[in-house]
Amino acid sequence: MADMNQASDGAAVILAVAAGEEGALHQLYQAQASRLFGIAMGILRDRDAAADALHDTMLKVSARAAQFDPTRGEAGAWLTGIIRHAALDLARARGREVPTDNPMLGDSLVHPEALERIAAAQQSARLRDCLAALETRNREGIVLAFVHGFSHAQIAARLELPLGTVKAWIRRGLIRLKGCLS
Amino acid sequence: MIPSDPEELDLLAAEHVLGTLDARQTEEVRRALPVNAVLRAAVEAWEARLVPMAGLALPEAPPPELWGRIETSLAARVPAAVRPLRRERFWKIWSVGATVVAAGLAAFLVFRPAEPPRMMTVLLTGSEQPAWLVEAEGGGLRLASLNARPVEAGRVQQLWALPPGATAPVSLGLIPAGASRANVAPGLVQPQAGMLIEITLEPPGGSPTGRPTGPILFIGRLARAGQS
Repeated sequence: MADMNQASDGAAVILAVAAGEEGALHQLYQAQASRLFGIAMGILRDRDAAADALHDTMLKVSARAAQFDPTRGEAGAWLTGIIRHAALDLARARGREVPTDNPMLGDSLVHPEALERIAAAQQSARLRDCLAALETRNREGIVLAFVHGFSHAQIAARLELPLGTVKAWIRRGLIRLKGCLS
Repeated sequence: MIPSDPEELDLLAAEHVLGTLDARQTEEVRRALPVNAVLRAAVEAWEARLVPMAGLALPEAPPPELWGRIETSLAARVPAAVRPLRRERFWKIWSVGATVVAAGLAAFLVFRPAEPPRMMTVLLTGSEQPAWLVEAEGGGLRLASLNARPVEAGRVQQLWALPPGATAPVSLGLIPAGASRANVAPGLVQPQAGMLIEITLEPPGGSPTGRPTGPILFIGRLARAGQS
């Protein structure tokens, strides 16, 4: 119930931004900034870069709020998509395709088994269960990519697997996830 | 290359959402999305499937000064991620657009000195480049292309207006293929300050639903000339 109220409030604020209502964007920022900044930090692990990603996200939201269609998805998911792509673009620009054994990289990673943090909403619980049903390394690869913006090369280095194997494993994991969720 | 095989296409969409594609592949997907409905549907479905995983990232307060920076940029509309490189280019492009605006304004001052303040905007692309100059004119709108570019084959450009406070945009009609000018007759819409004007990419004949269904190509907000 709380989830639903939150979702419709989010949609209302984005529609207010689209309508050019004074203060609507700031209201949205206050409600979402910590969550979105956390998502960008997961991918970039650098506060300056994550701030750039959030900055660009708010500019995009301001320009494209009219594109948001509440009948096709939830407001929080729409914002999540925008900041993830903004952060991934920055990660790519910073050369993430280059394999690295930088020990710092492992410092602040989410433990892939910390699945209970995925919200308890019905859709989320299904994803959590389906992720839990995957082979450990499949799941680790998918979480490292989605939450931490790891490239195939970085996942391969971290899991100590050949690059080709990692690509194939992740694809297989995605196919299993889709089957499990359908 | 966007695969035509449905399973390969679905996996490409999945990897796009997961974030494992490199910059070149990502650019290919983004360019294909406006014109490939199957790919778009696949990406949307994967977004919906995977988005709860974002809950694994721990919330963290952004730097307190960030909102001030966002407000400053909103006023100037300069993308941040590319700040050092792009700023100069942006202003160069902007100055071209601004010159056109100024030229339009000069003509107005010479020929119609008695009318109330004119409303206008420049519709920008997703990368903040000026694409169309829009002016309110005699209760209607007048559009002039600033930087004509071809539309993807089999698609049309549809013009919309969203008045302040409204939740659904109103269709103002299709922009004829290759047109560098277009007019919206008075009566379809009442131009007013704060009104969003946008052009979306739609199937032939325009949106079947009466609402925008395709991506926004260009967007801007009407303002009184001299006040924005």
